[in-house]
Amino acid sequence: MFRLNKNQLIPLVSVIVLILALAFFVPLFTNPALSTLRQPLGLVTLIQREIGGIIFFHRNLVQNEILRREIDFLRFKLNAANEMNNENMRLRNLLSFKQQAAYKVIAARVIGRSLDNWSSSIIIEKGRSHGVNKGMSVINYLGLVGKVIETTENTSKVMLINDPSLGVSAIISRSRQEGLVSGTLGTFLIMKYLPEDPDVKIQDTVISSGMNQVYPKGILIGTVVEIGKEFSGLSRWCLVKPAVDPSNIEEVLVIVQ
Amino acid sequence: MKKFNLFLILLIVAIFSVTILNSFRVFNLKPDLFIICLCFASLYFEYRWALALSVFSGLLKDIFSFNTFGINTLIFCILSFLILKLIRQISIEDNWMRMSLVFIVAFTNNILSGLILAFSGSVVPFGVFLRIIVFSSLYTTLVSFLFFKFIPLKQ
Repeated sequence: MFRLNKNQLIPLVSVIVLILALAFFVPLFTNPALSTLRQPLGLVTLIQREIGGIIFFHRNLVQNEILRREIDFLRFKLNAANEMNNENMRLRNLLSFKQQAAYKVIAARVIGRSLDNWSSSIIIEKGRSHGVNKGMSVINYLGLVGKVIETTENTSKVMLINDPSLGVSAIISRSRQEGLVSGTLGTFLIMKYLPEDPDVKIQDTVISSGMNQVYPKGILIGTVVEIGKEFSGLSRWCLVKPAVDPSNIEEVLVIVQ
Repeated sequence: MKKFNLFLILLIVAIFSVTILNSFRVFNLKPDLFIICLCFASLYFEYRWALALSVFSGLLKDIFSFNTFGINTLIFCILSFLILKLIRQISIEDNWMRMSLVFIVAFTNNILSGLILAFSGSVVPFGVFLRIIVFSSLYTTLVSFLFFKFIPLKQ
């Protein structure tokens, strides 16, 4: 089946060398290709959104009414929270606590998603020219979304929190128990390296610990839904339901400072 | 159709895959249109064009992925080479055979991608691993039926 003579061998070897060279230089094509494809990707996403709006008009109408009611309720809660915040600030000043600076963020729209099923990522419409750099953390109003892993002039690739390659140093909000949260490509995240008797309960809130400096402290990651033991029996893990649904992200905020 | 237009079609497939195709996710999985394109190219075109189209497909897949090395370019090239060798040995006259071929190629590609991910140190639960390998391959195969149904095979 694979028997070749000398005349066939030389072109075959040349093709293999060429393909290997191409494979090695793929990262060189990424930036110009993504910069070129930014406009068509944005256009197709816009058309998709508009068509979706027309098809799901009634659902959106009902959803709109529910959200309006929710906004009124949240406004009421926000006023109360503002009062609490002011009081907190006054007390902090009295105790001379170091103030945590508010994040400086850049809003960006999602224009594409990962091509394969083995990774979880999005492409956003902001890049280096807008101040987005590799390694910056990405959030939305619900919680942590992921991390910028590649940037071009006008686009950036964001690895989402449910990608198994991403690790976030996290703590349980109630007990301050530390662990490492990473994705599973599924619906849930996994919090690993918990001690044998961790102070974790179902429905506990998981937030970023701020230990590795990429992710600011206190960003909501999700809630604990299951606790389990590793095969070795030396440590525990827990499943975390992410606060952000990675499959339904349309807009994100990149923390630039 | 000029064969150079096929590269343009692949580009449109890439844009479609990263945008609109996300609305057609089942179990959070989407079909791999590039695998279908790879099988199509290998079935329809002569050796050089099939290889060129598969390399371009792999290249596009790598551009939209996070790989620092063009692993998809390499895998697609090898798969295309194997398909071209295989279709000389077996008959692929009916759609079921072609769909079986797509399933085998998608399955192999998924296993390779999954193993690369696993060996790179990422932990993927076994259930999720199996789901992606089996369901994604099946979904790709089912979508390929539409292509084979409406585009007749001519050499």
